Amino acid sequence: MTLNRKVSPDVVEIKSINIKEAQENILSNSIKLYTINASNEEVIKIDLIFDAGSNVQKFKSEANFTSKMLSEGTSKYSAAELAEKLDFYGAYFQTKNTTEEAIITLYCLNKHLYNCLPFIVEILTDSIFPVKDLDILKKNTIQNLKVNEERNSYLVRRIFNQAIFGENTLYGSYSNITDIESICQEQLTDFYKTHYQKGIKYILASGYINKETIKIINTNFGSNTFRVYDNIAYDYVAKYGTPADLYIEKSNSVQSAIRIGRGLFNRNHPDFREMQLLNLILGGYFGSRLMKNIREEKGLTYGIYSAIEAYPYDACWYIDTEMNNDLCETGIKEIYIELARLRDELIEEKELKTAKNYLLGSFLRSIDGPFSLADRFKILKDFDLKYQYFHEFIEIIKNTSAERLKELANLYFKEEDLTRVVVGAKKY
Amino acid sequence: MIKYNQFQLANGLHVIHHFDDSTQLCVLNMLYNVGSKHENPDKTGFAHLFEHLMFGGSINIEEFDTVLQDASGDSNAFTSNDITNYYLTLPANNIETGFWLESDRMLSLDFSQESLDIQRNVVIEEFKERYLNQPYGDVWLKILPLAYKVHPYRWPTIGKEISHIENATLDDVKTFFKNFYCPNNAVLVLAGNLDLETCKILVSKWFAPIPSQNFVKTAYGKEPKQTEARTDTVYADVPLDMIVKAYHMPSRTDENYFAADMLTDILGAGKSSRFYVELVKNKNLFSELDAYISGDVEAGLLMIEGKLSKGVSMENAENAILSILEDFKHNSVREIELTKIKNKSETNIRFNDMTVLNKAMKLAYAWVLGDVELVNTEADSYLKVTETEIKNIANQILVPTNCSTLYYLSKQHDTK
Repeated sequence: MTLNRKVSPDVVEIKSINIKEAQENILSNSIKLYTINASNEEVIKIDLIFDAGSNVQKFKSEANFTSKMLSEGTSKYSAAELAEKLDFYGAYFQTKNTTEEAIITLYCLNKHLYNCLPFIVEILTDSIFPVKDLDILKKNTIQNLKVNEERNSYLVRRIFNQAIFGENTLYGSYSNITDIESICQEQLTDFYKTHYQKGIKYILASGYINKETIKIINTNFGSNTFRVYDNIAYDYVAKYGTPADLYIEKSNSVQSAIRIGRGLFNRNHPDFREMQLLNLILGGYFGSRLMKNIREEKGLTYGIYSAIEAYPYDACWYIDTEMNNDLCETGIKEIYIELARLRDELIEEKELKTAKNYLLGSFLRSIDGPFSLADRFKILKDFDLKYQYFHEFIEIIKNTSAERLKELANLYFKEEDLTRVVVGAKKY
Repeated sequence: MIKYNQFQLANGLHVIHHFDDSTQLCVLNMLYNVGSKHENPDKTGFAHLFEHLMFGGSINIEEFDTVLQDASGDSNAFTSNDITNYYLTLPANNIETGFWLESDRMLSLDFSQESLDIQRNVVIEEFKERYLNQPYGDVWLKILPLAYKVHPYRWPTIGKEISHIENATLDDVKTFFKNFYCPNNAVLVLAGNLDLETCKILVSKWFAPIPSQNFVKTAYGKEPKQTEARTDTVYADVPLDMIVKAYHMPSRTDENYFAADMLTDILGAGKSSRFYVELVKNKNLFSELDAYISGDVEAGLLMIEGKLSKGVSMENAENAILSILEDFKHNSVREIELTKIKNKSETNIRFNDMTVLNKAMKLAYAWVLGDVELVNTEADSYLKVTETEIKNIANQILVPTNCSTLYYLSKQHDTK
């Protein structure tokens, strides 16, 4: 029989998902340890979560610098010695500071966990924030900031967030050179004592996990040296600025960076998951309308996308692209045409089906492997949700109609609600 | 340990299968053994432009992406100096759609002038976005032609200049396809929740009917040994001065490759590396300073790249780098450093092998290098490296006459 290449093989739709859930363990001191055992390789990732985000800082950059300086020395070891100890076991140590939390992460092979964790304990109980190391970090941070300020893509994001959330709010706040210069050792020591040594929110371990792993973690973090601290909700009220058209001139640019969008609700809002589908159709994947029209049909840009950025207390939605200064006018016009089409016309059945299938597939990819599963679990914790949220996601996506998406576009994609930022050589 | 099976079709397509039932996904990875080094020096950037065209529809399938997305799949591709690699990830029970798509675009593309015109524009915008409109974005455009005088590694994958992309014609596209996009110039990897038997049936059904091609890869020159120190200076609108040093190093299949890679890690990987401890922290001559290797199949480059702290002279900065390099030539590395780097490489390999996509790409690349089993012997190759080998390779590579240096200087003179 000859092969008929005109006909597509049968395709099976994703009906439900198996998602491996995190197990809750309680350490001897009541700290919760969540574990996701889903690896064939004997590797492990451990996240320690602290209520030490920039939302609790008194001065700009405090939280960020404290987390970056944690491994810069203890009374026993210098920064280089600490780094060499952890590097010796092939481990990777990272700190991350978000608006709501500080996260300390260790990646290593299970066989080295026993030797690595005592150094994390050391860092959490005895960091001394040496002035010399702080001065270098400040200097390098300022230099990096200057390099970033040469990037249109960095500037457009900063100006957009400031415009949407307000310059002195949790999500619109950025440190300038003066803020960084004024950071001093006492501030960091204080922040460390108040926000790290008060306690650990929870621990999340993913990878290859067995009884022995849990025992090692308990030995290190289950003692009375550590305790639980999970703060009460932070007091936040969204205060969106009025929609604005902002242009920042960068005369030496070849291309302009463009961001158009608005403040939005986060995962706790009932419309959020349907909005994920609407956003996907507009600019969330390679087959999106923006990508097809502006890149694949008109060749105006290398990349254009839209995204919802959800934070525990707020969110924004935007379209982002970089294009030739001269093409901007056409490009922006096309963006508004695509938004109008979503408001005025029903999405055709075929396009809707493709988008739904793709979104469900991308969800399946996002739960593949222990670290992806840990990321999903982290989302549930951040937004105070249960696994049911993901199972419902499948149902909601499958059942969202073209009529409903049009309704959402009319609610949330109104042109007069949007803020536009352009950074480049030519004003549009 | 990555277990795999391999077999070859009569048309020359090599197939590698790796079974992993811990995932609900399956990856189809098609690697074509063609990269920017196979390009005509007057028509550079072509392999990469062609990669874009591979998503523009094939002989029986109008819209590649829509078909894939309907089957809940995703795909992407990349082009390097040596290869072009395409990968599709699908729910394992939809993998046949991947076979349909990938075999159809191997059979023939839907060549159209319109598609070429558009993708040319997209690639030109990519050129600008990544190489021209970024601070320090054109470093590779400057350093490669300094380091290579003959070998085609002298131009970057994106191309030497925008005009080469502008001038690409539909005939060029067709010739390139006919020459390189055939089963006997490719390796196909299936990795994920797909059993070997089904894999064989699907491979045979979709790929066996595609004819092999006679093709000739134009021979290119071998890079002669560099015998003089080379330098170039550029001034740009950036806030900090930068220095880039490129040393020729052994190819990926040379026995000394691993020693060179480890030498680089001791120099520049992480916060206990010599560069970071001595020059970023203790002396604070640099705000950042990295060492890495280009990782090419043929003899590539060991790169040192750093941004100078404000107020530090280029001469002082360069001398500080050189004195650290000198130390390698005269003194053995400490045993603790060697163990550290070996442990690091083990961690990197184990973490890399966690996803089917990474495993699929690694298997395909090992085939290009001439031995699929390299995926499992790589860890040992690092473990076997001795202090003496590192010292020897340092003496061989880190000499001024083997080095091209780019001084990338700031035009900005602010007071801060």
